[in-house]
Amino acid sequence: MDNKKDIKDIIVLQDIHKTYDTGALEVKALRGINLTIKQGEYVAIMGQSGSGKSTMMNILGCLDTATSGKYYLDGIDITKEKKEKLSYIRNKKIGFVFQSFNLIPRTSAIKNVELPMIYAKVGRNERRKRAEELLKKVGLGARMNHMPNEVSGGQRQRIAIARALANNPPIILADEPTGNLDTASSIEIMELFTELNNEGATVIVVTHEDDIAEFTKRIVRFKDGQIISDTKVVKD
Amino acid sequence: MLILENLKLALSAIRINKMRSFLTMLGMIIGISSVISIVSIGDTMRSVMADQYKAVGSGLAYVYIRSENGYYSNNESFTLDDIEKIENTFKDNLDYHVTTRSSSKVTVANGRNSSSVSAVGIQDGYEKVTPTVKLIKGRMIDESDQNGEKMNIVLEETTANEIFGNNEPIGKQIKVTFDNYNGKETKEMNVVGVYRSEQSAIMKLLMGTATKEAFVAESLLTSPDGSYFSPYFYKNKDTNSAVFKERIVNYIARIKNVKPENVIYYSAEEESGTIDSIMSGLSAAVGAIAAISLVVGGIGIMNIMLVSVTERTREIGIRKALGARTKDILMQFLIESAIISAVGGIIGTVLAASIVMIGGRIAGISVVIKPQVVIGAVIFSAFVGIFFGMYPAGKAAKKDPIEALRYE
Repeated sequence: MDNKKDIKDIIVLQDIHKTYDTGALEVKALRGINLTIKQGEYVAIMGQSGSGKSTMMNILGCLDTATSGKYYLDGIDITKEKKEKLSYIRNKKIGFVFQSFNLIPRTSAIKNVELPMIYAKVGRNERRKRAEELLKKVGLGARMNHMPNEVSGGQRQRIAIARALANNPPIILADEPTGNLDTASSIEIMELFTELNNEGATVIVVTHEDDIAEFTKRIVRFKDGQIISDTKVVKD
Repeated sequence: MLILENLKLALSAIRINKMRSFLTMLGMIIGISSVISIVSIGDTMRSVMADQYKAVGSGLAYVYIRSENGYYSNNESFTLDDIEKIENTFKDNLDYHVTTRSSSKVTVANGRNSSSVSAVGIQDGYEKVTPTVKLIKGRMIDESDQNGEKMNIVLEETTANEIFGNNEPIGKQIKVTFDNYNGKETKEMNVVGVYRSEQSAIMKLLMGTATKEAFVAESLLTSPDGSYFSPYFYKNKDTNSAVFKERIVNYIARIKNVKPENVIYYSAEEESGTIDSIMSGLSAAVGAIAAISLVVGGIGIMNIMLVSVTERTREIGIRKALGARTKDILMQFLIESAIISAVGGIIGTVLAASIVMIGGRIAGISVVIKPQVVIGAVIFSAFVGIFFGMYPAGKAAKKDPIEALRYE
């Protein structure tokens, strides 16, 4: 039974503002964002370019810090943390999936998946074992020693997803994960995210495509640096 | 553990782009191999020189009396009597008799076969202080030959072969013609021994084809009325050089009635020491000049690292996004730089060692390559890599992940 009180708030944004000061110009990318995401949710963040969704993603991913406001990630007050600590938080709490895959070139799939674990100082044998399991999980058990340029786009993204899962983070943060994929691969990837969400992961997908957003359970729309709607996805 | 990962990463980065890595290392390879070659050649030469002095007898020394007014008379020379006095006084400090080292150019002939040699006057025990003289047949000149009726001679191996061919020389008589200022004088002498001169290849190279020697009794070449410019002595190992020098100088000053400052003492040991310092000074100087190429090599590494860092901006962004701290990126690139440098150092060392060893084999010298020099060179090249890699690694570490990820 769903007991909402027991499911914790994994992401809490309170009055987040982000302003870029480029000398002559002052760009207000985020103008007062309030957003709460609970553990296990499947959320799409939508908006056109310039809507602030990319900035939102960078702040959610601890790659950038807000100009003002509070961000609580799994209970940690991010705004109080030093930059170096943020690396640690990213490593443990967030699994990134990028539009252009961002795999390390000329490095095998398994070594790519091991990378977050290397920075988490996980031992060699344990790393190897987990990387193998994760690649098998995303269906690439046979491609462990392949280089990124030796596999298709869809497969590359799956390697990236396996990598995102390496340290078993509570949150998967995907930035236009299907942007560089064909329709068939896109569906495969989104189904993989759905599967991960069913297993308990909090999945946040940033996208501008409605088709992709339809896979999720909640759509938060951005426009001009503000949230204009926050709706549940109704599946027919 | 992260260091191990970075080491593996650095090695694979080198492997991925072999040509570029090699060209980057070239400066270091040339620098290290020059320095090691030069220093090793220097060390080898010093060791060869030291061996030569050992061969001559490191205790060898001589004195002469310097004339105050520049004219040399009998005051400044020694009689056999003086020499005997010196020998008796310092017997316990010497390995061999005090000698005048007299020699004379002679022709030795066996029938129609003749050869020119330098007849050197020796006493018993000479072969003990001269390791290059190895008796191979018969005996050396000894006590019984001094002041004797018998005229005995010891020939060198090649001379014996020249005038006797395959025949046995021991016991045979040969005609020995002395070329004195009086004119020529021929004596009949008995061959009592044959020796071999064991000079190293490098000494043969340096000395050229010196006149061969033969040994006769010293008494044959000296006379009680004669005046000799320098007595030579072979100081034994247990005697302190400085003390000996002072004692003998003062003694000679006393018996010859001259000022001690005018008794000039010259020792092989001091000379060997001087030559050694000069050679090591030379090696060091040339080595330092060669080391300049290491600086050039380091700059080359810095250049390539800067290019590499820019090329891998995206990669740096990815790593930071995945949890790499500034320190991790710094380490990654510093270690890469150090490894390139160190590998270059190792290759340079192997190259230098090969060149020096091959050269040594050709010249017939055993080369000296000190392990400290090798280890020092490799460590030094790693440090050059770290030093010149700091700036590029710093640039890499400071990159902002968001911008780095956007880099095309």
